[in-house]
Amino acid sequence: MLKTYKKEHGKTIIQYLVVDFNGQILESDDVLFSNVKAQNITDINPFFETLIPLLETDHEDYFFNCIHLNLNNKSITADITLKTFNKEKYPLLTITDLSSHYKHYQTTAQVRNESVINSQILELKNSYLREKEEFKNTFIANFSHELRDPITGIITFSDILTNTPLNDEQQNYLQILKSSSNFLKKMIDDILDISKIEVGKLKLVLKPFNIRELLNDINANYSIRAKEKGLEYVSTIDEKIPTQIGGDAIRLRQVLTNLLDNAIKFTEKGSINFNVSLNQIRAQKASIHFEVIDTGMGIAPENIDSIFKNFTQINNPLSFKGSGLGLAIVKYLVELTHSKISVETELGKGSTFSTNINFRLEPESKQKAKPLKKTITKPIKQDKKYNILLVEDSEITQLSVLKILARKGQFFLDIVSDASEVIPRIENSEFDLVLMDIKLKDQWGDEIAKKIRQLPEREHKRVPIIALTAKIFSADLKKYKKAGINDVVKKPFDEITLINTINKYLK
Amino acid sequence: MKISKKVVLIGHFGVGKSSLIRRFVENTFSDDYKVTIGVHIFKKKVAITEEDKDISLVIWDLEGNDDIRDTRTSYLLGTHAYIYVFDVSRPATYMTIKDDIDYLKQHCNKTLIKIVGNKEDLLTKEQIKQLNKEIEPLVDFYTSAKTGNEVDELFSKLAMELI
Repeated sequence: MLKTYKKEHGKTIIQYLVVDFNGQILESDDVLFSNVKAQNITDINPFFETLIPLLETDHEDYFFNCIHLNLNNKSITADITLKTFNKEKYPLLTITDLSSHYKHYQTTAQVRNESVINSQILELKNSYLREKEEFKNTFIANFSHELRDPITGIITFSDILTNTPLNDEQQNYLQILKSSSNFLKKMIDDILDISKIEVGKLKLVLKPFNIRELLNDINANYSIRAKEKGLEYVSTIDEKIPTQIGGDAIRLRQVLTNLLDNAIKFTEKGSINFNVSLNQIRAQKASIHFEVIDTGMGIAPENIDSIFKNFTQINNPLSFKGSGLGLAIVKYLVELTHSKISVETELGKGSTFSTNINFRLEPESKQKAKPLKKTITKPIKQDKKYNILLVEDSEITQLSVLKILARKGQFFLDIVSDASEVIPRIENSEFDLVLMDIKLKDQWGDEIAKKIRQLPEREHKRVPIIALTAKIFSADLKKYKKAGINDVVKKPFDEITLINTINKYLK
Repeated sequence: MKISKKVVLIGHFGVGKSSLIRRFVENTFSDDYKVTIGVHIFKKKVAITEEDKDISLVIWDLEGNDDIRDTRTSYLLGTHAYIYVFDVSRPATYMTIKDDIDYLKQHCNKTLIKIVGNKEDLLTKEQIKQLNKEIEPLVDFYTSAKTGNEVDELFSKLAMELI
């Protein structure tokens, strides 16, 4: 019965062929394709041309899997074997039709390959976008950096002009000039911060600091600014807040001042409330709640998400000055502390921005909190003259430093623009301090500092070197320290900052 | 005299091996990607006018692999020339080119090898120039199965060298 069933229902998928040593077909069972006797196998399909040189080999088995053949206008996918014997017996060809099996395999391979190709293309697109973004950020960083020398010039000479005889009208013009240059400086700082954040170069620098001093200083500044705009300024600082904490004081100040700037900018009448309270102290960490409440114009619910995006100003941008980066920077910085910024707002009634930030607890200092004042702190010997070497290729900065130091009447200034002249000048003179630009035309200032430190004379190893630069990423600061640079003055700088830093190192 | 030579196209999947052959043999192109499994074999006669001869190229279109070492060895028996194809727009398809070519040379050192960067229409001339500087060994042809650019030139040059 089985024999009958096989005959009636069995599928035959194998064809046997006997060929001579030239590929001429001698016998065929015609299962898959018929009427092939007396033909040469190379006429059936070009695949078989490969077999001709193998036909005369002695007792070999050759396997060819998954070969697509067109036989008698019918396409099949087959496994083919060639079995050779000795010269007395002709070779045997076996063709097994596995079309349905390979069809399934084809579907699986199609899905797999398409998915791999798509993920490779996606990765490529992402890397292209990343490169583009990095290029943009580097461009912005370099461009902003180049703006710093002229701004230093404007700020310095505005300061110098303040101390010259001016009539009332000129004083007014000077105030406008000063506030415009400070505004420009703030914008450049914001743009630089955003570009640093976007390339992941902005890192928090955690150090112990006195938070009460910081908050007092902020209150002192913003109570005046609010008053100037006719707004009430109310600040409540929780007494339970520890005085000494560990965190990034500069970035905390930036977050709080950006929020307060924003509140004052968008509030025309009413008040600004600045509240700071202690949430809890746990595991050597203090969680502090910061809150800025204004009675300004508020934000429509559909705009809340976009206020934290770069370059966004919800209201008519022509009515409000600014880069639109302030809140974006706040969001990034708060997130760097693993926290979140939240906003509650009602259109026409005002907004409340708040965040909880964790700080490390530090041993309490006995010192009482005092408001910080930017004054020249350390006096230097009034009767002594100091020799300062300025290494700087920007004429504006040269002139700015020259004017600042000349006004003090205690400094002789020697200026070098060309990096190659620095070492001979130092070897042939005695300087009390070196002011070093970092980005010179033909060499990096930190490289020159290294060479100074390698000079044989002991005094050269000790001469204080202060960098003047806008490149102050944490990696840069480490590099300067390693090169023997004692301190850094960030460009653009003002008179007080420069003189204070110089005085720190003069005996 | 009838001259017939076996040419094998090899390389990663999705680089356009089948499309190159279809462009050369049938002068057609389709944007739809259909995976090749196993091997398809085509034949085309090429006239070498300088020599006044014809040569039949028996072209084996092999399925693509991540690693050419996974290619079934029986497919490579009796090969006269390899065309190693990569996709200029997908670095993953040419990251291992040097090792792959070394492998081919090691296993059949007398066999002719042509290196082909396909899908050149997806890059600018400047990008191709840059890519050419980065890839070692030297690329013989930058082709586009889609536009037909350099496809006939590739097979004609190969046929000439095989004769």
